[in-house]
Amino acid sequence: MDESSLLLSVSDFIAVTNQTLEYAYPTVSVEGEVASFKVNQGKYVFFDIKDQGGSIGCFMTVWQLRVPIEDGMKVIVTATPKLTQWGKFSLTVRAVRPSGEGNLKKSFELLRAKLEKEGLFALERKRRLPEIPHHVAVISSTDAAGYKDFIKIVNDRWGGLKIDVAHVQVQGVGAPDQILRAIKYFNEQEDLPEVIVIIRGGGSADDLSAFNDELLVREIAASRIPTLVGVGHEVDVSLADLAADVRAATPSNAAQLLVPDKNEIIRNVRHRVTLLLPRTIQALERGQQNLRDTLETALAAIRRRYDWYDDHIRYNRRVLSELDPRKVLARGYALIRGDLTVGKAIEIEKSDILIKAEVTHVDRKA
Amino acid sequence: MSTEKRSIAEKTAQLDELVSWFDSDAFELEQALDKFKEAEKLAAEIEKDLLALKNEVNVIKKKFDEA
Repeated sequence: MDESSLLLSVSDFIAVTNQTLEYAYPTVSVEGEVASFKVNQGKYVFFDIKDQGGSIGCFMTVWQLRVPIEDGMKVIVTATPKLTQWGKFSLTVRAVRPSGEGNLKKSFELLRAKLEKEGLFALERKRRLPEIPHHVAVISSTDAAGYKDFIKIVNDRWGGLKIDVAHVQVQGVGAPDQILRAIKYFNEQEDLPEVIVIIRGGGSADDLSAFNDELLVREIAASRIPTLVGVGHEVDVSLADLAADVRAATPSNAAQLLVPDKNEIIRNVRHRVTLLLPRTIQALERGQQNLRDTLETALAAIRRRYDWYDDHIRYNRRVLSELDPRKVLARGYALIRGDLTVGKAIEIEKSDILIKAEVTHVDRKA
Repeated sequence: MSTEKRSIAEKTAQLDELVSWFDSDAFELEQALDKFKEAEKLAAEIEKDLLALKNEVNVIKKKFDEA
């Protein structure tokens, strides 16, 4: 035996090896293709990751497996290397995520189908957000541009809000758990916010994959506070979006959906009041017109009455005129005054002369 | 209730009522000018209140990086 070599028991050797590994590689991220994926007793997940040059066994619990994976899928595992007591080298996996757009999409579709089947995205589960909230919870990274856009737009649109912000990681392995804890935190508060807004700006499919984490999606769906999720750009759809009560296309859109625009309200209020004056003027004009119409009606009645009297007087004058004795005399007749007895003097009046005469005889007409 | 202590929502509701009055059977020309002045005053107050309101943003101290 070589005197300089260290003599160790098998257990000690395994322990020393693990210590050395832990010191050298406290955490490693390894990329490879999944093979021999299986779940034992509903609790333990075993699979290998491999490439053309080799293969390593992996172990994790089902609770740590936050996205669906299957054989043939390329993944990145975050793990600690370990030598087991049976001398088998393996990776104790803390997190696994699909690698590459195709695999992310595949994993997304698998989980989407599963959760959809459970009814997590059903329309009838969706709640309305308060029309004008007073107390809002925001979950985001306060360093992110998306968060800054959101706050700016909210401040431009509305005031008087109490906004509690939970600063969390919005991408990477730790992000889903941090967001999930923040949701729980707000749901446990005595002074419950009226809405939880979860926002994150645009990024690659990998950056946004935190929002496709199964436990996070379930937490959003289970939140007793209504949720508004605005992640990525308009074209990005995450499972968190689908589970939310209201989905915003972007963080800026989330601000627009959350509060009304005070400038628009001011414009509207001004416009409504401006419309009242023409309405009053219109009513006044209507009143004036009514008055004019009434006066005209009265005037027409007076005119009719006047015309009637006028006609009546004209008629009477005409009748009277016809009865005027002077007119009869003008037609050649004569007016006789006096006693029509023989020998008596009488006066005969014609239109132009007066005649004095004596009655010489009087005969009765046959 | 004094006008100053009412919320924006209450003032908006009152403005709605005033505007409706102009379209209702209760409309009377004699009252219209007073009602119009009242609506104008309310609109100015709503605008002033809206512009004066500021949001209170509070980043909570709790860290969420560990359970």
